[in-house]
Amino acid sequence: MAYIIETESLTKKFGDLAAVNTVTLNVRKGSLFGLLGPNGSGKTTMIKMLTGQILPSSGNAHVLGLDVATDPVGIRTLVGIIPEQESPPSFLTAMEYLEFIGDIRKIPDLEQKADWWFDFLEYGDKRNVLCKDLSRGTRQKLMLTQAFIHDPELALIDEPLINFDPIMQEKVKGFFVSYTKQGNTLFISTHLLETAEEICSEVAILHLGNLLYTGTMESVREGGRHLSDLFLSLVRK
Amino acid sequence: MAGLFMNMMKEEWRIHSTMFGSLNFALFPVMICAIAFMGTFLLPLIQASMPIGDLVILIHAQYLMLGFMVGAFGLLGNEVMNRRFGQASLLAFSARTLPMSPRNIFTIFVLKDTLYYFFLWIFPLGAGFLIGSLFTGIPFFYTLNILLTLTLSFLTGMSVVFFLSSLYQRSVKALFSFLIFTGLVFLGWFMLTGTNPATLFPPLILFYQFSWHLLLGSVMVVLVPCCIALFLFSPDIQSGTKNYPNRMKPLIRHLNRFPNPPLAAKDVIDLWRSGSIVGQTIFSFLVPLIIIWFFLSLLDEYVSTIHLLLTFAMITGIIASTMYTWLCMFDSFSVYALLPLHVRDVITSKITSFTLLQVIPVFFMGVITLLSGQGEFLLPVLVLTLSVSYYVLAVSIWLTGLSPSVLVYDVRVMVQYFLLIGIALSICGSLTSINPWFGLAGVGLFIPAFLLVRLGMRKWAREEVVGY
Repeated sequence: MAYIIETESLTKKFGDLAAVNTVTLNVRKGSLFGLLGPNGSGKTTMIKMLTGQILPSSGNAHVLGLDVATDPVGIRTLVGIIPEQESPPSFLTAMEYLEFIGDIRKIPDLEQKADWWFDFLEYGDKRNVLCKDLSRGTRQKLMLTQAFIHDPELALIDEPLINFDPIMQEKVKGFFVSYTKQGNTLFISTHLLETAEEICSEVAILHLGNLLYTGTMESVREGGRHLSDLFLSLVRK
Repeated sequence: MAGLFMNMMKEEWRIHSTMFGSLNFALFPVMICAIAFMGTFLLPLIQASMPIGDLVILIHAQYLMLGFMVGAFGLLGNEVMNRRFGQASLLAFSARTLPMSPRNIFTIFVLKDTLYYFFLWIFPLGAGFLIGSLFTGIPFFYTLNILLTLTLSFLTGMSVVFFLSSLYQRSVKALFSFLIFTGLVFLGWFMLTGTNPATLFPPLILFYQFSWHLLLGSVMVVLVPCCIALFLFSPDIQSGTKNYPNRMKPLIRHLNRFPNPPLAAKDVIDLWRSGSIVGQTIFSFLVPLIIIWFFLSLLDEYVSTIHLLLTFAMITGIIASTMYTWLCMFDSFSVYALLPLHVRDVITSKITSFTLLQVIPVFFMGVITLLSGQGEFLLPVLVLTLSVSYYVLAVSIWLTGLSPSVLVYDVRVMVQYFLLIGIALSICGSLTSINPWFGLAGVGLFIPAFLLVRLGMRKWAREEVVGY
């Protein structure tokens, strides 16, 4: 079994608070993995650890075979990341931001790729507008573009659809599904259960930093059960 | 309004206390007070080598400069009111959902900042001096008077720069017309009377001849520019859809000999489009230094021009080092944390951008040296300016990483900052007082600067970046 993300007793403490508590988790290559949990459950902390933005307090994690504690930059070279708060630099235009990313990541044919994304996410008319003047939805489109423009085999996205209108949500969900069908892996964190139920192939439920459940969508649906039933029964315990 | 004011005060406290703890922030004014207290006991010694009148001028000039350095609210206005100030969302933005005008919200923001600076810097210094005076026999009225006039010096500097920066935001032409007009008035005064315009500084006059009329006049000099600045404030709260030409690619090409060209290009674009490169150069660099030069030149009866110039070169070096904060004010490491970059890459790039900005102090000191008729000492003056600037930059990097404007208020940081800079300046000052050419020895500061940067890169790679 090829796991693209492996964690073992992964823990992150902020003072006395264990934001993530001894989480052991495996994510298969090619899956669309949903990390679910209510607000404050530790989802964002988990993504930050997996992308080397913060160091674990204990335990270990490997992403694409690289240790998050010793090679965070190596991981960020290979993966695409969208943080919870969309934050492209204020005084760059959308296109300048992509060129900035392109130069750091050494992306060939950047302009063609950028054109494709501007066209696909329908924001080409905003390419020369400063990021600080973009709407939240357009900023989210730009962040989506920067995460996928280098064709990563793994992307980690915190609340991927939160700022999109329903039409754009459908489009992006379709992209996620086709992206994983090509053998890539997507790790998303969300509290939108309908979205997770619709597109995810595997899910994990995190609550107060503890992993309560992990399994495939088939196992979730056993006996005609919905993801929301499972989720509520676990977090309300 | 009172509620919003109190909450903004709490917000300012929490910005700092979440970064390095409440105690370290709370101890900051205590440390300033302690330094002033100890300094009071040095007064008799200083008096032996420098007339007390000159010392009074120098201290007032320093407070005026401090006011100049923090008063450019006009440049911050739109950032504050548009949600993202660096990476933080401030109350000033969320308060817009309240039934209050943006001008009132901004006024409260300015009041809050003024009060914060007063309690962080001005009051503790005055209090330290006041307590010290009880032990040194300095008359009580004298200390109260100096506390008042120093406060007015600070507020005058802040108010003038607030006015100038607000004028700049409205119209660059109006600003330059005003500056030229004021310059001509002062020049006319100097030519007619032969006296240095710095002697007209109201708090200084008030210090020597206290009267209630003069006090009222000094307060008006603070209030009038402030009120005009608030009147000029016009928040740009609507998102624009203006299109900008693409500058990233050509800049990356031009900067390709530098490490991390895209990072340096981003810094250049940030500085240019935010208006900081012109605004900060005028309000946080040129204006304070020109005023300081006027004040220092009052001392030329006792100190030779070349020694004043070398002292001024060191002050310019310190002010030039604050250009690092200009570069760090638009982002935190979280912007780069999505990318395959180390903390050291970002710091290296900031040093690169800082190097580009050093053209400004070099040009400025070159002009000042030539105008003061000391052209033959141009080399030691420039070497000293740049050495001090890079040394203080290195100290800042080591102590504060990529958050210089916030972490500097950690008392532990500030103590180390003062000590490291104090030692270096004492050595340079002593050497240049023997022979001006010993200013060349300033290059020696590049060795500790290099080591401090290396240490800083290692230190901040280990530290987790705390958001606020």
